[in-house]
Amino acid sequence: MDKIKAKLRALVTPKPDATASRIRRRRAITAKIYAKLPWITTTLFAVGYAWMLCIPFSELENRIYIDENALQPGQVNTQWEWSDVHHADMYLRQLEILRDSNATSEQRADFLANEFNKLGIASSTQSYTFSTSSSTAAGTNAYAVLSSPRTSGNEAIVISASWLSRIDESSTSDPETINIRGVATVLALAKFLRGYSLWAKDLVFVISDGHLDGMHAWLSAYHGVSQSNMDADYLKLSSGVIWTALNIDYPGHSFSHLGVFFEGLNGRLPNQDLLNSLRVIANRAGVPVVTYDHISPPELPSSLPSFLRDNRDVKLYAENARSVLRHVGYEARGSGSGVHGLLHQFRIDAITIFAIPAAGPHGFHAIGRVIESTLRTANNLLERLHASFFFYIMTSSDTFLKIGAFLPSAVLVSVAMMFVGLGEWVRAGWVRGPDRVAEKAGSEVEWLKRRRPLMKPLGIVLGTHVFGAGVFGALNAFADHHSLLTPVVFLVSALPITLSFLNSAPKPPTNEIAQLSTLLKSLNLCLASTIISVTSVLNFSLALTLAILLGLPLSLASPSTSAAVKTAKYACYLALAFGWLLMDTEVKSALWNWEVLGVWVAPFVCVVYAPLVLQAGLVTIL
Amino acid sequence: MDSVLTLPVLVAGRLFLSLVPLPEALKHDHQLSSPVTSYSHLQEGIYLFNNGVDPYSGGVFRHSPLFLSLFSTLLPTGRVSSSVLWTLSDAVGAWALVRIWRARQRVKTSSRDGLISAVYLLNPYLVLPTLALSTSTFENAIALLSIMFASQGQSSASLLALAFLVHLSLSSVLIIIPLLLLIIGEPISRLASPAPISSNLRKTLPLFLEFTTYFGVLTLASTLVSGGWAWIPQTWGVGLTLPDLTPNPGLWWYFFTEMFDHFRPFFLVVFSVHLLLYIMPLCIKFQHDPLFAIFLLLGVLGTFKAYLTLADPGLFLSMIAIFPEIFPYLRHPIVTALLHLHSSLLLPLFHHLWLAQGTGNANFFYAITLVFGVSNGAALIDCTYAGLRIAIGDGDEKTAVIQE
Repeated sequence: MDKIKAKLRALVTPKPDATASRIRRRRAITAKIYAKLPWITTTLFAVGYAWMLCIPFSELENRIYIDENALQPGQVNTQWEWSDVHHADMYLRQLEILRDSNATSEQRADFLANEFNKLGIASSTQSYTFSTSSSTAAGTNAYAVLSSPRTSGNEAIVISASWLSRIDESSTSDPETINIRGVATVLALAKFLRGYSLWAKDLVFVISDGHLDGMHAWLSAYHGVSQSNMDADYLKLSSGVIWTALNIDYPGHSFSHLGVFFEGLNGRLPNQDLLNSLRVIANRAGVPVVTYDHISPPELPSSLPSFLRDNRDVKLYAENARSVLRHVGYEARGSGSGVHGLLHQFRIDAITIFAIPAAGPHGFHAIGRVIESTLRTANNLLERLHASFFFYIMTSSDTFLKIGAFLPSAVLVSVAMMFVGLGEWVRAGWVRGPDRVAEKAGSEVEWLKRRRPLMKPLGIVLGTHVFGAGVFGALNAFADHHSLLTPVVFLVSALPITLSFLNSAPKPPTNEIAQLSTLLKSLNLCLASTIISVTSVLNFSLALTLAILLGLPLSLASPSTSAAVKTAKYACYLALAFGWLLMDTEVKSALWNWEVLGVWVAPFVCVVYAPLVLQAGLVTIL
Repeated sequence: MDSVLTLPVLVAGRLFLSLVPLPEALKHDHQLSSPVTSYSHLQEGIYLFNNGVDPYSGGVFRHSPLFLSLFSTLLPTGRVSSSVLWTLSDAVGAWALVRIWRARQRVKTSSRDGLISAVYLLNPYLVLPTLALSTSTFENAIALLSIMFASQGQSSASLLALAFLVHLSLSSVLIIIPLLLLIIGEPISRLASPAPISSNLRKTLPLFLEFTTYFGVLTLASTLVSGGWAWIPQTWGVGLTLPDLTPNPGLWWYFFTEMFDHFRPFFLVVFSVHLLLYIMPLCIKFQHDPLFAIFLLLGVLGTFKAYLTLADPGLFLSMIAIFPEIFPYLRHPIVTALLHLHSSLLLPLFHHLWLAQGTGNANFFYAITLVFGVSNGAALIDCTYAGLRIAIGDGDEKTAVIQE
C-alpha cells in the first residue's frame, strides 16, 4: 500500500530537479524577452507602419457581394419613364423661378409643401435655428409622408435632398451651389411613387434646408432629441421607424457617373449591403458607380519614372490609396461625408447618391430608374440590414477591405507602444547591482529592486488632461478670438520648460527610487496604447491617425541633459500637441461639428490627444 | 489632507454628484444594475405592493421582501431622497471599511483612514451603480458592516447584518464560514506568520445557531410581509435558476443564452456549486487571517457571481486598500490595472456598439465580459499569491518561491 502511495506521490510531485530547471527556464525566457524588447518593439512598429502602407494593395481587398438575400437588387422591372422625366423638368422650371427670385427659406418650404399637398401627400414644414458661439444658422425644412398602402407603416424609408449641394465641400467660401435637380428629382419621385400600391414601408420625402443643419434639425425633432443650442419646431407629421435613407445630390445639368458617399458622424458607417445594392442596380441600369467623385484615375507625380507610372499595379495602388485617404479624412475628422452621415446615429442605413456633374450622357431618366429600383430593394426588407459588413473601407465601388485587412495596422503599433511602456515600467523598478567582476565569470547579473512612487506621475498625467479640458473650454468660450487664444495656449504649455531651467539639474537615478521621467513615460505609453486600441473599434481612421502621430514620438521621448536639445525637443512636442490650433478653418469646423452635430473629435483632441503629447514633452524635460 | 476631514468632504462631494441631474439611461444600464438590483424593478414592485397586487406573481420584481417592507413604510422613494439615501449608504460602507482597517491595525486612528475612505467613495465601479440607484449599494454596505462588527468582536450585530446580507443576495453565503472564524479570532494581519488556527472551533456552533435564528426570523418576516412563500423562488431562486437573461458584465448570461435547454439544469448546478468550491480551500489556507479569506471570497463573488454588476468587483477592488502589506508581493499589478483599464473602457463601448449603434452584436459585449472576467480573475489570483508569498518574506535573491 505504501509503495503504491509513494509511486502515486512521485507521479504527482515533480522531481526537485525538474522544478529547478523549470524556474531556470522561466527566468531565461523572461531575461531573453527583456533583452530582446527593443527588437520586439521595433519589429512591431515596423510591421504596423508597413501594414498601413499596404492597406491600398489590391491583394488585400475583396470583391463586394450582396449578403442579405431578401434584398434581391435589380430584380424588378422599373416603371420610371420619360413622362416622369417630363414632370421632373416641370418641377425644375418652377424651382429655377424660385431660385432666381431669391425666395426665402420659408417661401421655398411653403412652395415645396404645397407641391406635395397637390399630389395628395400629407406634407408640412419645420423651421429651425441653431445658435453656436460663433454663428447662427436658420432655415425651414419641407417634408411629406406617403403612408404605406400595404402595411400599418411601422417602418419608413426616407428620400431626401438638401437644398445646398455637397459640391462646394472643398471650397473655403460658403456653399452656394443649389442641389436643384436633386430637389426636382425628389418631387418627381413623390409624384411617381404614390401611383404604386406595392410599398410596404412609409415613404418620407424630406427637402432639408441648408446643407447639414436642416436635416439635423429635422432628424432631432423626428426622434425627439432636444439640444440646448437648437430651436426647432415639432413635426406635425410622423411615421414609423426609419430603416433606410437615400439622399440625392444632383447639382449639375447632367452626369456621367453616380458617386456614392457613405461615411457618417463619429466614424459610423452604413451597412455595406446598401452600397452594394446600389452598385448592382446601377450596373444593370447602365449607370457607372464610383466611390466619392473619383471619376478619373489619380494623377501620379511626374517625377515618377514612366515605367512605374504606366504600371498597372502602381496605378491601382494609387487609385485605392486615394479612396482610403479620402475615407480616413472624413472619418478621422468625425464629420461624415454628407447629409446621410447625420442619419447613422439613429441606426438608419443611409447613403448619398451624388450625380457627378458632367456633360452627359445621363440625366433624370437614369437617376430616377436607379432610385426607384433601390427603393424597391429597400422595400423588400423584413428586418433591418444586419448581414453584410459594418466595418469596412471601400477602395472602389466594387472592392472593399474587411476589418481584418486594416485593423491590425493600428493595433500592432498600439501593442508596440504598450510593450515600450511595460519595458519602461520594468526599467523603473529594477536597477543593475554593482558589478562583481571579481566573482566567477558567467554568474547572473544582480538586480536590485527600487520603489516606484506613482502619485507624482499620476498627478502630472491628470494635470495635463485637466489642462486639455481647460483649452477646450477656452476654445468654446472664445470661439471668435481664437487667434488670440493660440499664443496663450503655447505660452502656458511652455511654462514647464522655463520652470525646469530655474530648477536645479535633474537628479540622477538613485538605487532607491525610480526616476520620475521613466515612470511618466511608462504611464504615458500605456495610456496612449489603450486609447488607440479602444478607438480602433469605434473609429478606425481616428485610431490610425493617432497611431501615426503618437506611435514613434511618444516611444522615443527621453530626457536629455543639454539645455538646447531639451528646448528643441520640447518645442517639437508642443508643436505636435497644439499645432492644429493654427489651422483656423479646420478648428472652426470641428467646433461647429461638436456644438451642432455632437461630433466628439474636437473634445477628444483637446482632452485626450494633446495632453498625451504634452506628457511626452514633459518626459524630455524632467 | 487631514484624515478626519476627508470622509465628510468626500461624502459631501458624492452628495453633490448624486443631486446633479444625470441621464435617465443610467438607471437602465445593464452594467450598473441587474434585474435583481434594478431600481425601476424595485419601484414597480413597490407600486404593485401598495396597490394590493402580489409583486412576485409577475416575474419582474426580484428584490427581497425586506426591501419591499422597508421602502413601502420607512424609507423614502422620491428622486432626491433616494439619491441621498443611496449616497449615505455608500458613506456607511466607507466608514465601515475605515473601521475594519483600524481594527486590523489595532489603532484608534491612522493617517491612512482618509485614503481608504477615498478608495471606497471614489471607485468608479461603486460610484456609478450608486448613481444608477442599484440596490447592490446596500448589499455592499451591509457586507462591510457585518465584517466591521465581526472585527470589533460584536458577534450578534455582525450575525444580524450577515443574515440581512444573505437574505438580500443568497450568493453571499460564501462568506459565512470565514466570518464566523473572524468573530472567534482576530482581524489583525497574520499573513506574514501563518499558524494553525488557535481559537476553539466549537465556539462557532452557537454563533452559527444564532445566525440561523436571525435568518429564520427574517424569512418568517418576509413571508408575513409578502403573504406567502412565492417570494422564495422569485428572489433566492433567481440566482440559482437564472430565468432572466438580461445582459450583464458577468459570465453567466451569454453561456445560458446559447445553451440547449436540456443541458440547462446540469450547468446551473455546475455554476452554482463552483462558487461553493472556493470556501474551504481559502478558509483552510488562510485560517490564520480569516479577514483575508473573506476578502478573497468577495473577489470570487465579484468574478463568478450570477447577475454580476460593476459594484461586485468594485467592493473587492476597494477592499485591497486595507491590505497594504501584500502590495510589495503583487506579481503583476500593472498588468491587472491595464486589463481593468481596457475592459472598463470597452465594456460600455461594446455595449453601445451592440445595443445603441447596431453595428456590433452580442458577441462583442460577450467577448469583453470575458476580458472583464480575466481582469477580475487576475486581480484575485495576484492577491491570493501575494497573501501566501508574504509569509516567506523577501528571502535571498538567488532563491525562488514556487507553488506546488
